[in-house]
Amino acid sequence: MVNLIINEWVKHFRKAGTYVMIGLILLVVIGVGALEKYEEIKNPTFNPDWKEELQQQIADDKKFLEENKNDNIDSMTERNIAINEYRLENNLPPSPEKNIWSFVYDANMAVELAGLFTIIIAAGIVASEFSGGTIKLLLVRPISRSKILLSKYITVVLYGVFYLAIIYVFSCILGAILFGMPNSDVPHLAYVDGQVVERNMGIYLIGLYLLNSINLLMIATMAFMISAVFRNSSLALGISLFLFFIGSSVTYILSSYFDWVKYILFANTDLSVYTDGGPMVDSMTLGFSITMLIIYFIAFHALAFGIFKKRDVSA
Amino acid sequence: MEAVLKLENVSKKIGKKTIIDNLSLSVQPGEVFGFLGPNGAGKTTTIRMIVGLMKITQGDIAICGKSIQKDFEEAVSHIGAIVENPEMYKHLTGYQNLVQYARMHKGVSKERINEVIQSVGLTNRINEKVKTYSLGMRQRLGLAQCLLHEPKLLILDEPTNGLDPAGIREIRDQLRTLTKEKGMSVIVSSHLLSEMEMMCDRIAIIQNGRLVDVQNVKDFLDTDQLAFVVETGPLDNSVTWLKEDWGVEILENGFSVLARKEEIPALLKRLIDSGVDLYGAKQVSKSLEDRFLEITDMAGGQING
Repeated sequence: MVNLIINEWVKHFRKAGTYVMIGLILLVVIGVGALEKYEEIKNPTFNPDWKEELQQQIADDKKFLEENKNDNIDSMTERNIAINEYRLENNLPPSPEKNIWSFVYDANMAVELAGLFTIIIAAGIVASEFSGGTIKLLLVRPISRSKILLSKYITVVLYGVFYLAIIYVFSCILGAILFGMPNSDVPHLAYVDGQVVERNMGIYLIGLYLLNSINLLMIATMAFMISAVFRNSSLALGISLFLFFIGSSVTYILSSYFDWVKYILFANTDLSVYTDGGPMVDSMTLGFSITMLIIYFIAFHALAFGIFKKRDVSA
Repeated sequence: MEAVLKLENVSKKIGKKTIIDNLSLSVQPGEVFGFLGPNGAGKTTTIRMIVGLMKITQGDIAICGKSIQKDFEEAVSHIGAIVENPEMYKHLTGYQNLVQYARMHKGVSKERINEVIQSVGLTNRINEKVKTYSLGMRQRLGLAQCLLHEPKLLILDEPTNGLDPAGIREIRDQLRTLTKEKGMSVIVSSHLLSEMEMMCDRIAIIQNGRLVDVQNVKDFLDTDQLAFVVETGPLDNSVTWLKEDWGVEILENGFSVLARKEEIPALLKRLIDSGVDLYGAKQVSKSLEDRFLEITDMAGGQING
């Protein structure tokens, strides 16, 4: 099994495209860093009057809350008020100077790019063996088809983790160089069950990266399934990227009209709503979302493995 | 001796169509066995079922006594195969490709890889990318790939396709060495009949998914009876005895006859004695191709639609 994963890994690392992908990810992180450094030099962010500003903000939010009655927006506003009040009580300015953590937080937009590349790999990893004809030489080995497919899936997941690690580690290094470590401890403030809690920033960020990548993992799994079932990488790539980019926004729009939206994959992929803010549909809970994710996950794999094992290979 | 490969009443249906119909045969150790048949006869489908790429609808295939359906990993470990073209990872070098396959078998050492590369004559080009290879070189790499784990049964689908005459000869010699010295069995399929004559010990003729005949190549070619065409003037009433005693077939200006070589002088002497003008007599050799066409023709030469 380990040998199979090494094989897959080698096949990808001998391709020029893999290095282009890594290069692009690094470039995006560097780009974000350069922009923020430029901003910082141009207008220093620290505002000595932050307490007054926050009080004004809280007053505005409270007024807004009384005038509007919309569940989704309300929960957001309540959360903002709570966090801002907490900041006033504990003397925690909202935007301290840029530091390594704020940069790592901003760099997490590169996770989208990592997702994109992981989906590209997932879409091609089975289909390309069929289109190249190499599937024949791969399947006449003393290794069951399930093991071969599983090794490919594990490779996809490893690639995703690999890209995430690159972003996290690289943005930590770059952030430390460009902005330095924070002077004092900067906790992350989360709003849970009407309470504001302080969290360690480094761990919060790793958690944020992993939560962000659930969406990535599910769509990569779907791309992998389509690739294994239809043996067509363009189809797998097309459908998956389409859903990757617009899936959550369409689901979000639908969620204000229909209740069944909660059964859609994309309503459940963002688990961070349960720690910061509220879910799309009020009746959803963390347990519900995890159950839905597991059901989708198993369904994708049942399809991929079931069909791949039975298929007559005539490529 | 246990057969290396055994097909028992194997059938393959796709939808309602029967592609392979009740095929049974066995291949012995150290034998070169040929699959011969017109295009679409089911040769490649049969090979795909043997190596487990296609599922068997009915019957069973055993390799060294292990069923390919129930005991896939064990059964297929005895096989080295090229199915149709040997497609490799084009962005890897020949050597990297072989390492890929070596990782999927137990106990293939670096020395073994180099030994195989040497034996297929790719030493000089093995570190170049496969996309720079000619078809012939890919064939060699394909052969190297299936020899790595020293299988008991080698399956080569059209092995000489794309090779130059020297390459074809080399492959032939190599098959001889593999079978005679290492006791490997080989299955080849080819539409090049003359190739089959030179390579195979036995040949199975497959048509429309059915096994028409299995023949020893020696018997196939060396029947005692040879065909002769005798060119003569008008035969007149000699026709009677020619037909009765020799069973000849009358042609426009002469006749053809099946006979042993040593019988011919007596035949010619009697013709001259009967006053028939004799212009010439020549042996028409019967090649495998004629026999093949003859046999498949008897079975109805249409590809089933």
